[in-house]
Order: sequence, then structure tokens, then C-alpha cells
Amino acid sequence: MDGWLRREDERLLTGAGRFVADLRVPACLDAVFVRSEVAHGVLREADCSAAREVPGVAGAWSAADLPDLPPMPLGEPAREWPALVEDRVRYPGEALAVVLGDDRYHAEDGAARVRTRIDPLPAVVTAQESAADTVRLFDGLSNVALRGEAGSPIDGEVWERAAVVVESDYRQQLLLPSPMECRTILCVPGGDRLTVWSGHQAPHRLRQDLAGLLDRPEESIRVVVPDTGGAFGSKSAVFPEFIVVAWLAVLLGRPVRWVEDRRESLLVATRGRGQDQHVRLAADAEGRLLAYELTVEADVGAYPHLGVAFPMQTAWMATGPYTTPKVHATVRSLLTNTMITYPYRGAGRPEATSPLERTMDVLARRLGLDPAELRRRNLIPPEAFPYRTPTGRTYDSGDHHAALDLALRTLGYDGWRAEQARRRADPDAFPIGIGLSCYVERSGGERGSLHEYVGVEAGDDGTVTARCGAASSGQSHATVFPALVAETLGVEPARVRLVEGDTDELPGGVGSFGSRSAQIDGAGLQHAAGLLIEEARERAARLWDLPVEETSWSDGAVHPVRGSAAMGLSELVKRTGPLRIDERYEADMAFPFGAHAAVVEVDPELGTVRVLQVVAVDDCGRALDPDVVRGQAFGSIVQGLGQALYEGVPFGDDGLPLLDGGLLDYLLPTYAEIPPIELGETHTPTPRTPLGAKGAGETGCIGTPPAIVNAVADALRLAHPERLQMPLTPDVVWRAAA
Amino acid sequence: MRITLTVNDAAYPLEVEPRRVLADALRDDCGLTGTHLGCEQGVCGACTVLVDGEAVRSCLMLAVQCDGVPIRTVEGLTGPDGQPHPLQRAFSAERGLQCGFCTPGFLMLAAGALDHDLSENEVADLVRSNLCRCTGYEPIRRAITRAAHAHQNGQDGRHRSV
Amino acid sequence: MKPAAFDYLVPQTVAGAVDALAAGAQVLAGGQSLLLEMHLQRAHPALVADINRVPGLDTLTVVDGTLTVGALVRHKTFESPGAVPGPLGDLFARAVGYIAHPPIRARGTMTGNLAWAHPASEWCALAVALDAVVELRSTRGTREIPAEDYFLGPFQTARDPDELLTAVRYPLLAPDTGVAFTEHRRTGFSFAQVAVGAALTVREGVITGARIGLANCADRPLRAHNAERTLIGSEPSQPVFTAAGEAAAERDAAPVPEPYADVDYRRHVVAVLVARTLREAAPV
Repeated sequence: MDGWLRREDERLLTGAGRFVADLRVPACLDAVFVRSEVAHGVLREADCSAAREVPGVAGAWSAADLPDLPPMPLGEPAREWPALVEDRVRYPGEALAVVLGDDRYHAEDGAARVRTRIDPLPAVVTAQESAADTVRLFDGLSNVALRGEAGSPIDGEVWERAAVVVESDYRQQLLLPSPMECRTILCVPGGDRLTVWSGHQAPHRLRQDLAGLLDRPEESIRVVVPDTGGAFGSKSAVFPEFIVVAWLAVLLGRPVRWVEDRRESLLVATRGRGQDQHVRLAADAEGRLLAYELTVEADVGAYPHLGVAFPMQTAWMATGPYTTPKVHATVRSLLTNTMITYPYRGAGRPEATSPLERTMDVLARRLGLDPAELRRRNLIPPEAFPYRTPTGRTYDSGDHHAALDLALRTLGYDGWRAEQARRRADPDAFPIGIGLSCYVERSGGERGSLHEYVGVEAGDDGTVTARCGAASSGQSHATVFPALVAETLGVEPARVRLVEGDTDELPGGVGSFGSRSAQIDGAGLQHAAGLLIEEARERAARLWDLPVEETSWSDGAVHPVRGSAAMGLSELVKRTGPLRIDERYEADMAFPFGAHAAVVEVDPELGTVRVLQVVAVDDCGRALDPDVVRGQAFGSIVQGLGQALYEGVPFGDDGLPLLDGGLLDYLLPTYAEIPPIELGETHTPTPRTPLGAKGAGETGCIGTPPAIVNAVADALRLAHPERLQMPLTPDVVWRAAA
Repeated sequence: MRITLTVNDAAYPLEVEPRRVLADALRDDCGLTGTHLGCEQGVCGACTVLVDGEAVRSCLMLAVQCDGVPIRTVEGLTGPDGQPHPLQRAFSAERGLQCGFCTPGFLMLAAGALDHDLSENEVADLVRSNLCRCTGYEPIRRAITRAAHAHQNGQDGRHRSV
Repeated sequence: MKPAAFDYLVPQTVAGAVDALAAGAQVLAGGQSLLLEMHLQRAHPALVADINRVPGLDTLTVVDGTLTVGALVRHKTFESPGAVPGPLGDLFARAVGYIAHPPIRARGTMTGNLAWAHPASEWCALAVALDAVVELRSTRGTREIPAEDYFLGPFQTARDPDELLTAVRYPLLAPDTGVAFTEHRRTGFSFAQVAVGAALTVREGVITGARIGLANCADRPLRAHNAERTLIGSEPSQPVFTAAGEAAAERDAAPVPEPYADVDYRRHVVAVLVARTLREAAPV
């Protein structure tokens, strides 16, 4: 294809990509938010009058100036989340006022002149502090926002009779998803319509939310997702700033844009993870797992939102890849004075995998078993699928033993064990450790989102248009989906183009999150292309006056079974009229899985960890484009590396995150941190769609962190690795080693 | 202030405030939006451009500092004949981009160094100058190495300085 | 994250620059820290004097065993060990690789780091260890201050606001000096948690000269005098280096806690890193 591997490549490589900040709209105003510098407090004053006098400032508003400004959509339990703070600040950076300027410079000039006064209140940033309910985020109401469980409580007898019971505490630290492009929205009013440009994962959901908030028909809003600079879960909601921008654009009848900058993002973009966990794992003397109990206390941020319920994902996935007969997980979600937690790549599954896999290694040590052997004895065997877990999931398919064996082979497990023994005998050598992690992922979504709009249309010019409700933020949809439709139809991929990410162009859509696009949109597009073939055959049969069974389809054309005449799609359309399939495609969730392994070298004197090798064997069923899947797997592993070793949000006593140095404090992995990474694949298609694809791209965040932590614990031969809490910064490792 | 930015061999006479950073002048005043702002603190490198042949962070330079100095951005990477630069081809071939937001910065970072044969260490030093959140960097390293070889071997059909 | 408005001057001579400072200007040399601070609205100068067009400030000169680094000499100049004669050039080349990354090193300047005085700055630690002298010029005249007296605290120096740091001078190191620079940090992008530069002279099997500079081991760059004293007269050996490391940690360093590096950990790292740096510096 003219020398570019992906259709996205040419524009993105020549500076012709169009992200929201790149769009040129005449008379557009830039929004800047005045943000709280305290974590929790009572707002006494937000005076914008001086800001309005600043040259280049078009207006400035506090909540008091916009009495009709709608609040965020209510979460569960219902607590009002005003789009601009009305009287109570509940997280650092919460927006106190907005200033619109003819450019960002002038808007910031104005923001600097807004006078605010906040009487600080004590801030709670940990689940434990929050649970005490001594400081309440909402007066008179408990900070406990959700209690839930999966599985059934386990009899005390089980623990008493077990040969070994391992108990441990873990922290899944808060992470910042940190796509390279922060959040963006541009609202352009025109006539009775509002066009919204946003780097977003779910344009239809955004349209629905905005329509509800602005109290106008959905059809009056068009949401367009142009090039989007990564999302990783963080761009799928409506946010307070979005409401303000949309409201003001309508109020003023002028285009208004908000391009979140990095400093804002570090403060007020959604966070991921945020769980304190306690586990108990029981096994018999042969290492067969008997029971597993997981208790989650989640710090979910200041307002009830989707993130409140998300720890349930961890509970449902607590069983992992093992045949443990009894599994019980309980969850409490607790409000804290931070921006909300929300799905971040992996979303609930990393938090499920990490405590289980870390505890498996402790158990192996306790039993004197090789950690690989312990896992082998407990992995769900291939013949057991579909497998119903004690925590309520029904896994579709899997061959965990094959994945683990391939990971160990690729790693050269025995060789590393020999090297480890050699180093242990050499007092001058840095110790090395080997860590394993087997995981199950869940892709596609939950009930309620396991469907998608898909469509395929043949044009009279020989082109084919594929449509789906997904929205790409770097996942190569424009390349992968047309290739799939072309393969199904038997036409040249160049003839197929994809339309997505524009609510005016699509009858509906759900979006791209939860690793659902390949699995659901992909299967749906294949299905729609199949329906198009059927329709084409029926039309041709009518033209030819043949029974439909006497037509066949190959190479993009209908053929009579006997004879040589053939009719291509364009001719068929010319002769029979528009040929377009629109479908609401449904498919059940699927369960990708795999095994990751890491080798690390630890300098115990300084506590530094050098990752010598990472092997990731992932199984996402059928990979639509193996190179695209690998690219995402690789990037995902690097994000997993970030959680394991570098990324975290430390807080000061005042509840403010200690990230004044921006990306010099919140440390994303750089190339200097990248170890040799080898990818391996097994392919176990999901039986739940004819396509067989499961989700991909999140597994590095799920499988890699515990493999690395286990490797560090192994290097240090820690019997009780609880002191190894992520991120494994040098001081943490040094203390654990001491 | 009245200045003239010379970007990709074209002159842009501008009236700018002294505080305007080069990245904003390129994007908003010259309309060259291929240069992206990812952090505005010199860390991420999405805004990297060539100033006087040298890769710099355009968020950490003022436009007024660049009056009359030749600047090259991603829009100027493609040859006058429309032929893609070997770096552009290599990034595609090695899958050195996914969302593409950081990509112009990596391209210009590498473009500033292609005037000589790059050692493995030099390539590594370049790649670790910028942030990418999608690829995990290794494909970017491969792409730069590939382009450097192509460039040195003259496989791109021309020896053009950028 | 945009800078607040300011007026902008481009002096063409040192005298012009000094006049601008007298009028309250903030100097823009490499600008890699200044512009960042302005983006973060932590610095809002009303007047900025861009000295990049002042001739003569971009030179390195060596006269009578003294290296003079002008105010516009960029970090990247020191990437080549040959840029500065002898072991000093080697030491600078080892240190410069820890300073940010190539695009920042292309703009940022050594003297700019000294003017900025970040406690984690590699150059500042070396300046105090190497008996550097900073040259300050103002409309009131020129003065020179030894680096050890110049740094007063985080981002605080003895430079008066109207003084231009025109140059920094270093005595060259004797040809038989061994040098090393090591840095402990969390990732390739982070500031040093601890950095150590060392220059060691060993004659007839005995350490006769020792210079140890510490970055981010106190509220300002430090020279580890106590550690140096334990070395002089000793034969280079691991126990001697370990003892020097402990002296540096316990008696020289005054670490400030930060996230992921509390005082205990910092002190421990100082001890380890000083010992390792000395071992590496020790001429074989």
C-alpha cells in the first residue's frame, strides 16, 4: 500500500495528523480553569471580576456566575459533583472558575487574576483514613461508597485444615494513565447544532451525556473523534471541564476549546488502580489450592462515578487461572480527596492478578516447590472450558499450560535458574531473580456494553465502506478493520475504507474500551460483511432468476454455480440499488490469558533493579493483525514496567500530590529503562464469535508487574515480601533487602 | 515584536509577544500543527524541532529567539519532490508509531542526527530523549537505526541535509 | 502553562547585558530551566535579557592551567573528553551524560546551571569540588567568588540580582589524576537522588590529592571535605574508600528528604556511591 504499513501512517508521519488542538476554527476561545491548590476545603470566594478586565479575556465565570450550569451525571450513590466548585473543594485541582481568552496565553493571564479563598479541611487520601469516617467528604454521609462481593464466604475450617495458609497485604498504587495527548474538547455551535470534537474513546456516550446535560436532543449534537493521542482508558467519560466548555460554547454562541495541559493532567486527569488488598491463600501439602480470599479497600477519589464500581472487576476476576475451589472477594470503595479513579489499561484485572500471583510465589517458597510447578498443578486444564469460576465468571477458552510452557521455554528458565545458583555462590555477584505471572484477562465489556453498531456498504464505484462504533486512539482501526472486511468479501483491502468516530456518520455506537474493538467490532464487521454477501447473492439470484443456492460468492463477486458469468459489487449496486448492512452485533465477553516471566538483577546495596529480560506469552485468540497486536503488547508491557518500578503518586500531609516537577517527578519509563522483551503467542480462539478474536493490548499491564515484583522477591530470597510494594523504587528494595 | 521565522525554507513574518514560545508560534501563527505540545516542560519531546540544524525543545525556546534562524519541522521532512524522508518510511516499516502524537518529535530528534553514521549508543541516547506511551520505544530505535543505514548507504537516493 | 508577559531585550555586548540586569532583567542563556519555571508560573520576570547574541561568551579558553568557560558554552560541548585538556575533560565528559538529554544539552549551559543552583546539579557539585571560581559582572564592577562560597541554598547563590555570571574558571587537573562520576537516579529522566564526582591523585602508592563533589546530598552542592581528609596519605583500597564513603555520609552530607528518598536512604546511598566513585577514580 504505497509504502506505508498502516493507513494512519502517512498523515501522522508528515505532520498532517489532526488532533483536536490542531484544528483551526475562526473566533475560537481557549478555556483555562482556575484550580484549587488545596485538597479539601470550603470555598469562600471565587471572584472573577479582575480577570474580566485582562486584555484578550472574553469572559470569566465561577459557579456563582453560572447558576444553571449542570453538574456531572450522578453516580451511585448519588452525590452532586458540580462542574465548577460551588462550596466545597474535594480534590486538588478541582475547577473553581473558568476563563476564556482569545488564546491560551490571555486566558492564563486572566486566570492568574481570579481571586479565590478556600478554608482548608483535613484531607483523606488513603482508603484506611477514609474508612474511619472521621473526615467526611459529604457532611453527614459515610465515605463508604460501595460494598460488594464475589463468591461465597469460606468456612473457617478450610483455613484450619490447610497444610499451608499464606496471608499478605498489597498496595496497588494510584497511577496516571498519561497518554501523550492529554484530554481535549472543542465545541463549535452552529445554527441549532453543536459540533463537539474530542479525543475520546466513546463518542456516542459523550453525545448522550452532553445531550442530557444540556437538555437538548441527541441529534442536535455531533461528536467527532479526530486523531487521538492515546487514551488507555482515561478518555471515555464526560468530565467537569467538558460540561463547562460545552455550556459556554452554547451560551456565547462561539467555539470554545479546552486542551488539558500536562500540569492539569497530573492533577485532575483520572487515576488508575488505587487498592489496598489483603489476601489469604490456602493449599494442601502437594500445593493444590484450596481457598483464596481477597479483600479490597479501594480509594476511588472524591465523587461516586464509574470508578466506584470498578473494584468489582477485581473481585470477579479474583479466581485467576487456577482451579481453586473456593474463592471469595469482598470490596469496599471509599471516597478520598483525589480526582476519581477510573479505568486505566487493565482496569481491575491488574489489581486481581498481582495479589494472587505474588502470593503464589510466597506459597511456592513455603512449600519448597518450584513456582512454575506450583502453577502447573493448579492451572485450569484446557478440557475444563467453559470454566465457571467461584467468583461468577465463565471463562470461554484457554490453554494455560501451553502458555506457561512457552514462556518458560522462551525465557530459558532452567538456564536462568543455573545462573541464579552460580551467582548465589559468588559473593561479588549481584543476585538475580526470576518471576512468573499467569493471568486471565476479560475483554469485550460487561453486560450492557456487549454489543456494537457495525455496518458494511458497497458503493457503485467498487468501493466498500465499513462502519463501526469503535473509536481509535492509536490502535490502527483504519488499517485493521478494512483488511478484515476485505478478506471476508474477497476484495482488495484498498477498496475498503473505515468510518468511525463520528456520530453523524453512524446510526449508533458504544466505543473502544475494555479491549472490545477487535473482539466485538471485528466480529461484527465480519458478520456484517457476511450479511452483505448473502444479500448480494439474493439480489443476483433474482436478477438471474435462479434459486439463491445456485449462486456462490468469491473474490468480491457473485457467481452462478453453473456458468461463468459473475457480477461484482459495483455492478450489482448499479443494477439493484444501494446495498448497505447496518447491524447491532452482540457477543459475549471473552477471556484472553497468558504467562509472563521476568528476570531481574538487584543491586542490594543501592536497591536498584535492572530488568534483564521480560517474556510475555499472550493468547488473544485470533490476532487480526499480528504485528499490530504485538506492537500493543510491547507498549503495554512497558506501561506494566512503569507500575512495577517507577510510577506512583506520593502525597504530602496536606493531601496534595507531590508532583510539582511534573514528568520529572511522575516517572514514565524512557528508553533507558527498556529491557530486552520477547513476545510469544498461543492462539486459542474464543468460541463466542465466529471470528475468534479476543481483546488484546492490556495484558502487559496485567501480567508484567507481578512477574517483575516476584523476580525481585526471588533475587532477595524474601520469605515475607510484603515490604516490596510498588513502585519498587530503590529505597523500597533497599529496605526490603536489609 | 516583529520577527520572521524561516521554517522549512519559507518565511513567516510575524508579530508576536516576546513570551510566545516557538512551539506556539509554529502551531498557531505559522499553522504548522505537526509539532505537538505534550508537556511544556521540556521532558516529553513531542515538540522537538530543528533550530539551526540542531534538535531542540520548541517549548523551551521563545519564538523571538529564532528570528532569522532556519527552522525545520516535521512538515519539512518530506522532500521537495514529495518523496518521504527515509525516517518516515522507516517509522512506518518498523511500526515506530501507534497514536502518532509523539512521532513528529522523534522524527525531528533523529533528523538532526542523521548527518553522520550513528553508533548504537548514539541512537539509544536519542531515543531516550523523548517519551512515547504506545510503542515501548524499541520499534522507534529500530526505525532510526534503519533510516540511518539507509541514509548512509544512500538508499534514499539523495543526500539531503535537513 | 504559558509564560506571563515580559519585555525582551537582546543586548549585543556584555556591557549591554550588564546594563539590562541593572534595569532588573532576568538573564536568558540556554533557557532550559528558566522557560520551564516560567511555564509553571514559578518565575515571572518583567524583563528578560537574551544574552545569546553577545559575542565572546561562547568560548572555552585555557590559560596558565586555568580553564575558563563562558556563559554561552552549551552542555554538549563537554560531551567530547577532548574539549577540555587532561582529566578535567574526562571528568566533564563523564558528568555531562547525566544532564538531561541531547536536545536539552544542545541549548542549556554550564554557567546557567551554576546561576540556577539546583541542589541536584552535576555541574554545581563539580564546581565546588574542583575549586572553581565564578566571575560576576555588574555595572558596579567585576568580582570573583569561589564556588564553595557561592552556593547558599536551593536556587540561592551569592550572586546579586544585577550581576551577570559571565564565566566560571577551573584549575586543570594534573595529568595523573584519576576521575569518576556516578549518579543514582530513578529513571533516565529523573534528577539525581545522589551524584558523586571524584578526582584522585595517587603518587608512589599513596593518595596525595582527593576532590569529592556531592550533588543532591544537601540543600546545596557540597565538597566532601571530611571524606577527602580520610583519604589523604592512605593507600587506595576498598576499606579506605568505604571509610571515606561513610565519612561523606555521616559528616559531609546533610540530606533533605524527598519522595522515594528519605534521609536514611540518602545517607546510605552517599556512602555507597562515594566508595564506588573513588574505586572507579583510583588510577590503576
